[in-house]
Amino acid sequence: MLQHLKDLYHWVDVQGHRIPAIPRNLGITALFLCAAYWASSILITHTGGENNSALVFVLAVSLISLLTSGYVYGIAASIIGALFINIYFMEPYDAFSLSRTGYPVAMLSMVAISCVICALTARVKKQATEAVRREKNARALYEQNEKLNAEKTAIQLQSDRVAIRENILRAVSHDLRTPLTSISGAVAVLLASPEVSPKNISMLNDIKQDADGLIVMVENLLSVTRVQDGTIPLKKREEMLEEVAGDALLTTRRRFPDFHVELDLSEDILYLPMDPLLIKQVIVNLLENAIRHSGDRDHITLRLYRQEDWAVVEVRDQGHGLSPEVLQAIQAGQAMPLSGDATRGMGIGLSVCQSIIQAHGGFFTAGNHPSGGAVFRFGLSAAGTA
Amino acid sequence: MSEKQTILIIEDDRAISNFISRALATNEYRTISAFTGKEGLSLFFSHGPDLVLLDLGLPDMDGLEILTQLRDLPREVPIIIISARDRESEKVRALDMGADDYVVKPFGVSELLARIRSALRRAERMKLSQGIQRDIYQIKDLTIDLAKHQILLDGEEIHFTQNEFKIIELLAIHAGKVLTYDFILEHIWGPYGGSGSNQILRVNMANIRRKLKENPSDPKYIHTELGIGYRMLDD
Repeated sequence: MLQHLKDLYHWVDVQGHRIPAIPRNLGITALFLCAAYWASSILITHTGGENNSALVFVLAVSLISLLTSGYVYGIAASIIGALFINIYFMEPYDAFSLSRTGYPVAMLSMVAISCVICALTARVKKQATEAVRREKNARALYEQNEKLNAEKTAIQLQSDRVAIRENILRAVSHDLRTPLTSISGAVAVLLASPEVSPKNISMLNDIKQDADGLIVMVENLLSVTRVQDGTIPLKKREEMLEEVAGDALLTTRRRFPDFHVELDLSEDILYLPMDPLLIKQVIVNLLENAIRHSGDRDHITLRLYRQEDWAVVEVRDQGHGLSPEVLQAIQAGQAMPLSGDATRGMGIGLSVCQSIIQAHGGFFTAGNHPSGGAVFRFGLSAAGTA
Repeated sequence: MSEKQTILIIEDDRAISNFISRALATNEYRTISAFTGKEGLSLFFSHGPDLVLLDLGLPDMDGLEILTQLRDLPREVPIIIISARDRESEKVRALDMGADDYVVKPFGVSELLARIRSALRRAERMKLSQGIQRDIYQIKDLTIDLAKHQILLDGEEIHFTQNEFKIIELLAIHAGKVLTYDFILEHIWGPYGGSGSNQILRVNMANIRRKLKENPSDPKYIHTELGIGYRMLDD
């Protein structure tokens, strides 16, 4: 029963608030005044007294001020009510008169009481809306806080995961590089030593080459793990491309001292954001690829230039060019077929290049030059750099 | 030099320490090996080496800590850092704290020997000059005349801007030592010169390179330490 009443009240409340404020308030005032008039008319036929009607009107006024917004309606209703009582429910009936003793006092006190009730209900209402507003604010704050907490935990988790991966990568790289460094270094010492017979020197050379090859392979595998799924952000910073290329060429020359690579710089100063260690590795891979697989020893060129908004690095050889299968595989972005000694290692190196350039948002192309030889090109966005 | 120079190797990996030691021995250096930081410090004080090779990743103490302790001593001994590849900020800090040079694992024997020679030569020069600055620096066919404010390449004068000249001058005074970007920026443009970016230095360097017709893949005068700084070659 109570629930029904509550529902009804709620329904009326909701429906009522669909009507604009002024007509609604006026309607409520008129409705309750009429009701009070009607109730007083009934009461007066039974009791004949005039005091009851004043109470009925005070009740109506208090209800009006409760249900309307602001003071105005309640005060207006109290004045109208006083007039009603004077005219309809007091002798002389159906006429306005202030002749009876004490009557103006009664009327004034009724208006005064109504006004006080108005003021009190208005205050109660204000406090009620204030309370509702505060609760809403508090809830909003709480929800906001919950959301922030959830976000914070998510970020924390994510950065923990990244940190753990970084640490594992670092540990693995340390544990692989350290022994490889000492193998390669020890062999170099032996190679320089006069106590090694010429027969053993070729074997030592093989060990040295394989150790150095493994070092490169480890670098490649670590880099590809780093960029592959995009969870570890690139360590990008502004870098001078010619310095990265120069460093790459120095590294390559150390491994292949007998090969000649020409570095061709344009006048353009290419200073742009990149992960320099990774880009260096791409260039090293492309140079090594040209040295080992092109059959060209002396005409490999490394060229840097700006083309519109791209900083382009081009590695070109004048060897026998790329076979259709290799070309197709590169264009499809697939791993290279690893059959045969000739292409051993080529697949991994090139797909590492592709992954790294892709992670940088650059382009990577491979093709054969019309005048012979293979051309590998990659570009990094140099938009907004001078 | 009649007397053998002594090199202290502070490196926890025995295999690496061994091959370095052998390589140095065949090149007429005397070596002492320490496998922990504490041992390294005590051997330093008992033997007074001419150069220290210091691995930053030691088990018992931070390599940078050792560096600080060695740098606080009155006797300046050249220190070459051995460091992992991807720890650039660590290298930069070590260089700014007074290390002379660094090698990165995996490094080659010839590279290490070249850096050791260069650091020892520099130390020798410092001892001879007794802090008195020279007026003329000669690197191969490049003559840097600080008094005349003139740079000659193979006898012919090359014109540099004020800042370009200052950079070359700074590198020449510290020839053989790696100077970090921040070090150069602070000396040329003042403490706030770089304002967080080293672009101004890098662009100046690219221009210097073009004027000297320097090929970054085969540097004759200025070596680029990628992501770290520059070093003027001294041989």
